[in-house]
Amino acid sequence: MLIGISLISFFIMHLAPGDITNNEAAFNPKASEESRQKLREMYHLDKPVIVQYGLWLKRMATLDFGNSFASHQKPVFWQTVDADGNVTEGMIQQALPITLMINLLGLVITLALAIPLGIIAARKYQGWQDRSITLFNFIGFSIPSFWLSLLLMYWLGVVHNWFPISGLHSLNYDSLDTWHKIKDSFSHLWLPVVIPSITGLAGITLFVKNGMLDVLQQDYITTARAKGLGERKVVYTHALRNALLPLITIIGLSIPGLIGGSVIAETIFAIPGMGKLFYDAVLMRDFPVVMGILTIGSALTLIGNLLADVAYAWADPRVRRGVAKA
Amino acid sequence: MNMQTSLIKKALSNPLSLAGFIIIMCVFVLSMLAPVIAPYDPNYIDVKAILLDPSMQHWMGTDGLGRDVLSRMLYGGRISLLVGLVAVGISTAIGILLGALAGFYRGWVDTFIMRIVDVMLSIPSFFLILAVIAFLTPSIINIMIVIGLTSWMGVTRLVRAEFLSLNEREFVMASRTLGAKNARLIFTHLLPNSLTPIIVSAVLGVAGAVLMESGLSFLGLGVQAPQASWGNILTDGKEYIQFAWWLSLFPGLAILITVLGYNLLGEGLRDALDPRSGSNR
Repeated sequence: MLIGISLISFFIMHLAPGDITNNEAAFNPKASEESRQKLREMYHLDKPVIVQYGLWLKRMATLDFGNSFASHQKPVFWQTVDADGNVTEGMIQQALPITLMINLLGLVITLALAIPLGIIAARKYQGWQDRSITLFNFIGFSIPSFWLSLLLMYWLGVVHNWFPISGLHSLNYDSLDTWHKIKDSFSHLWLPVVIPSITGLAGITLFVKNGMLDVLQQDYITTARAKGLGERKVVYTHALRNALLPLITIIGLSIPGLIGGSVIAETIFAIPGMGKLFYDAVLMRDFPVVMGILTIGSALTLIGNLLADVAYAWADPRVRRGVAKA
Repeated sequence: MNMQTSLIKKALSNPLSLAGFIIIMCVFVLSMLAPVIAPYDPNYIDVKAILLDPSMQHWMGTDGLGRDVLSRMLYGGRISLLVGLVAVGISTAIGILLGALAGFYRGWVDTFIMRIVDVMLSIPSFFLILAVIAFLTPSIINIMIVIGLTSWMGVTRLVRAEFLSLNEREFVMASRTLGAKNARLIFTHLLPNSLTPIIVSAVLGVAGAVLMESGLSFLGLGVQAPQASWGNILTDGKEYIQFAWWLSLFPGLAILITVLGYNLLGEGLRDALDPRSGSNR
């Protein structure tokens, strides 16, 4: 699996026309053919493709993605310590926590809204609540998130000036005390977190609704009702738990979409996360960074799916027993 | 033919898909008629008319180079439709081919193809598309091909599942026992019977492709200036967000309505054509 991913990301890079040395040399018109050759040797670009892939794979096994071409010699993934003990932080090391934090916060908001909405839609099935939620879902599926971002940026940021429209911190961030630092970060994060969760809301609401509808038709719910349990107890303790189970898988599956979506959101709001890093790297043809992010992004997806499977087994005794037997 | 007309009739009796169909036809007709009804040349730069508010002369205002936004929107609609249809055509063709191979021959062919699907699914597709497009130099043709080449996995899974379940059905077994060749089995029994979910997923796929194209163009990695696309008009909108709301509002609305149309049509078709959903819910 991982090998397949690494092959794909490696060969995409070699589709690229041109030679990276042209880029570096372009900044320095005096670069001679000799120094270009030296650069090629340094990055092993003079070797055959298969050898390059082998070398790259070998370094990847130790999570060493090499150094960035464009930002001079910055390590792509993790910090390195040079001979004098100076620490250079890796590019992904800096960007990943920001993206993870934004997506996790967004996911929490999405779930907090989607689960109640889905339950309402299922309980009032075909009623006006359900119909308006369905309409909202269709719009949520169809709205381009970057357009929504622009509108909210215009409305809340430009017209009302309630929220800052770009970056993670204000310019005077370092001079603030702790409380104002938190407040500052919060107001910067507000828009980038809320917008993806609005667009993600539609799918999850629909999912919760369908799950609830399925579960509410099952025999054990009828039994619970026949016992004379209150509707509230039937829905929230008996039905909800089973309706939410498949949600774990869906969240796991939505990870690539979330990571991919961060490109547009982070570019719009100028947030230095994985998406922005990737976008800049693509524009500058910074091979190691692009490959590193593709690989890390895919690895995150795999880890996410694995976690989802584990969580599913933890939450559902039937699966757990099945695994134990097998 | 008869079966097809009844399918269409059934689909259009569903209010959702009818609404979607009407929206799509409107967008289609408007953008096809672009050369006739567009009031200005979409690429004509008028330095005396930069960033004008919407008015009788310019219904949707003008952009930062004094080009008429309405005319650019109409021409942009053509791009969206073209990219959506061709990209989905490519992905559906690949999906049917691979899904049919996997579902019909099973065994190692199936394992191999499904492993490729798993690998493709675990790479964040937007990253993949972005990387490939940036390296291939962005152009409409490249966008269509790349979106097509990175979105075939769903169709493959769908076709494979349909084939696997149809293979077990009596009429296929009967035909096989009567000595039908593989090609005959595939083309007269399996494929026609799995057409419904393929059509539904293709229609929904167009919605996704239109969104993808506008996102790429918005990032500047899609349709290149001076050619108009809804996405790159929005890029201008972002540039002038403080001064010109109309540059952001109209192209976004156009994308929203078009994508909504395809989603409505797709969901409506699913409801109308799938006997399992709809009746009891």
